[in-house]
Amino acid sequence: MKRIIKLTINGKTIEAAVSSNQTLLQFLREDMDLTGTKHGCGLGDCGACTVILDGKAVNSCLVLAVQADGSEILTIEGLAEDGKLHPLQQAFVDKGAIQCGFCTPGMILSAKALLDEKPNPSELEIRTAISGNLCRCTGYQKIVEAIGEAAEVVRMREES
Amino acid sequence: MLLPKFDYHEPATLEDALRLLSEMGGNARIVAGGTDLLVRMKLKVEKPSHLISLRKIPRINVIIQRENHGVSIGAAVTAGELSTNELIMERFTPIGLAAARLGAPGIRNRATIGGNLVNARPAADLSPACMVLNASLKLKRSKNEREVPVNDFFRGPGETLIEPNEMLVSIFVETPPPWSGGAYIKLGSRKTLEISMVNVAVLLTLQSQNGPIVDAKIALGAVAPTPVRAFAAEEFLIGRQPSAKLFSEAGAIGVGMCEPITDHRGTMEYRCLMIETLTSRALNQAYQDAMTWKPLPV
Repeated sequence: MKRIIKLTINGKTIEAAVSSNQTLLQFLREDMDLTGTKHGCGLGDCGACTVILDGKAVNSCLVLAVQADGSEILTIEGLAEDGKLHPLQQAFVDKGAIQCGFCTPGMILSAKALLDEKPNPSELEIRTAISGNLCRCTGYQKIVEAIGEAAEVVRMREES
Repeated sequence: MLLPKFDYHEPATLEDALRLLSEMGGNARIVAGGTDLLVRMKLKVEKPSHLISLRKIPRINVIIQRENHGVSIGAAVTAGELSTNELIMERFTPIGLAAARLGAPGIRNRATIGGNLVNARPAADLSPACMVLNASLKLKRSKNEREVPVNDFFRGPGETLIEPNEMLVSIFVETPPPWSGGAYIKLGSRKTLEISMVNVAVLLTLQSQNGPIVDAKIALGAVAPTPVRAFAAEEFLIGRQPSAKLFSEAGAIGVGMCEPITDHRGTMEYRCLMIETLTSRALNQAYQDAMTWKPLPV
């Protein structure tokens, strides 16, 4: 049985018919063609499917599409503005925090949720925020540094 | 990984949800955060034909302070909210600390206290925390409701007193007396997304800042088919003056309560050693917390 859901994805309001057993991850990738969000383990262990749902980082593989009805979703595709990378994306590039890239969208969205709540996070807070995101290349150090640098850029941008 | 087919229901009131639940009997499951249920459904461990969502039900996801005597936590309050709520952290410390150790941030933002209790995993984080605080669970069905002490709730791995047509709607916790302090320690091979090898929650109440122990509650998880209270260690502590030596003796007594198993997370022998160490460590932490007890600003 299909249900109609209405939600905002990356600032755009969308109405769609979804099956009750479709996950938000499937809906984003297969119906919305937003394949930046990755399908890793499908069980909430790896964090590759992390998106921001109503301001909170969640594993989209463990959210039903029908449960996202009325919500606001941010995926990696919604971060850049006017063709310019978000400071987090830029810092990941600059710092060499991207290796194979599979964990990157999830890492960046977990980091984004952190910076939205805590613009000046400690290293421990950064590590905790991405503790549910696995990087199989094990490039954690660069990722932590990139998030710290991006936090500074965001703070400076907001002050000026 | 795909979910099997099911019908999804999103009742707007608790009454509607309870009616649906009683109509569908054993074929329906409640879904709140889904971080546990959807995993089990993907792995085909569970195949409910109906899911009843709590997301439209008013007030089931709020924390309500009951004057000064306690707090009522809605079953759909997330672990993330518990771990960042100041009142919970300050007065109901074991619950706040346990919630902060559940899963990882993305899981905590969805996983609920109700789900964590009802799933009744022996290693659940919030179960021992609720047990040391003597939480009382409100179970509702269409026609009536009952209150069950959390200490009587668990029956075995995945088994509780809850009936198929009943729903856990809220958790009431009395405010611990002045000079109480709490702790929660979880041991696993990594710091996040870990299922405990052993976990321990403690609530300690002193007569005064430097006074003897007037009440002690210790609960251990992942050491038996259900989380268990270490009653003998609790009784041993009451009336005595706190000290590191006393706490390590209590830890040794705590081991007697447990029947841990050997599995891929750890051996029985190692678990027993860790029960002793962690109980004593948690008692020390709870003692530090109790000594710094402060009245809440009005």
